Amino acid sequence: MPDFEFDSGEASMTSLQPIPMVRVRTFTTPHVLEMVQGPDAPRTFELTGDRLIVGRAVTCDIRVPLGEMSRQHMRLDRHQGGFRAVDLDSSNGLYLNEIRVKSAVLRDNDVLQLGDVAFVYHEGTT
Amino acid sequence: MSFLVRFWGVRGSIPTPGRTTKRIGGNTSCVDVRWGDELFICDAGTGIRELGSELMASAAGPLTAHFFFSHMHWDHIQGFPFFTPVYLPQNTFHVHSPVRGDDAFHKLLSGQMESRYFPVAFRDLSAKILPQDMDGTRKEIAGVRVTCFEQRHPGTSWAWSFERDGVKVVYATDNEIDLTLPDPAAVERDPQQFRRVPPGFVQFCRDADLLIADGQYSDAEYPKKVGWGHTRATTLVDLAIAADVKQLALFHHDPLRGDADVDAMVSVCRERAARFGHGTFIFAAREGLELRIDGRR
Ligand SMILES: [Zn+2]
Ligand SMILES: [Zn+2]
Repeated sequence: MPDFEFDSGEASMTSLQPIPMVRVRTFTTPHVLEMVQGPDAPRTFELTGDRLIVGRAVTCDIRVPLGEMSRQHMRLDRHQGGFRAVDLDSSNGLYLNEIRVKSAVLRDNDVLQLGDVAFVYHEGTT
Repeated sequence: MSFLVRFWGVRGSIPTPGRTTKRIGGNTSCVDVRWGDELFICDAGTGIRELGSELMASAAGPLTAHFFFSHMHWDHIQGFPFFTPVYLPQNTFHVHSPVRGDDAFHKLLSGQMESRYFPVAFRDLSAKILPQDMDGTRKEIAGVRVTCFEQRHPGTSWAWSFERDGVKVVYATDNEIDLTLPDPAAVERDPQQFRRVPPGFVQFCRDADLLIADGQYSDAEYPKKVGWGHTRATTLVDLAIAADVKQLALFHHDPLRGDADVDAMVSVCRERAARFGHGTFIFAAREGLELRIDGRR
């Protein structure tokens, strides 16, 4: 004897209550820069704030004390819910997936190279 | 000084939003080329909407820009009515036609805004939108030498070259180079063989520091698309080699091509260039990319 029954009748629509949007839980995770090559790699940096500087100087938000890094090498600007990377006229340039760029809107799994240091950008959910 | 080049739309034929095209982008053709304060806009596909927003956010005063259209197919003009700076009276836009005494591009651009197609009439755009022609195939705008070249495309299309201080950027989309080869059938007999692009176009692209060009089809796809006006990416590679191009941006990506397919196309092209022993750097144009192009001399 099954402990359920097939319902052969029409479903009653009158009792159906829509779930209000406010009760939908949303999960957010931050955008992350993962250093995959460089001092103490792998390391991850959560990208909080609207503007971050990556470079050799002590004042940088993400500091990488290596000679081939410029003092201020790259800026990350919040852009349309994600980030845009901007080369700060660094001597060794900014490379996105092997392309030397002045700036780039970042997408999930993009690889950024600054001198010998490489980061992977992981898009969070916002 | 150098050229700054930004990609706002890199897709061919029709916009392709969606998950599979998220990295490369789904907007149709629009590229801007800047030298100092001079702004040159190549095509006005749907990508130009975003350029308009950027210009609105950053412009301190009146804006002047020069439009260079490859041709007037939809995917190259459809964004124009959504380019917000054309609605401001202080702005001036020059629409350059490649032919002397010709204002056809200006006329066709306004034509797409005729009332049954669009709610705002062209004459109601507040900015000054002025037709300009070419005195021959070259002109100089604020020290930048602009030249054009007639390409092979249904209804014709034009490539544009921007040069200053030994730095050269070429925008050459919607061009079926394969049909201009001396023996097009030879490619199918032996796809591996180097393809000799006619010298006129090679010369036009000669020593470009950046060539942005249509390489829409793979070798497998092309035979079914002959006459549609686009090139095998591999033929484009051979052109870049012959012209000694420094960087080649594959452009006008096929609407059916997802991000991974574009990557595969780049790999095929890089292998081909390497096989011919040429160091041209090949990559896929993608939205939101800005390049600084310096000379090599
Ligand atoms: Zn097109
Ligand atoms: Zn076309």
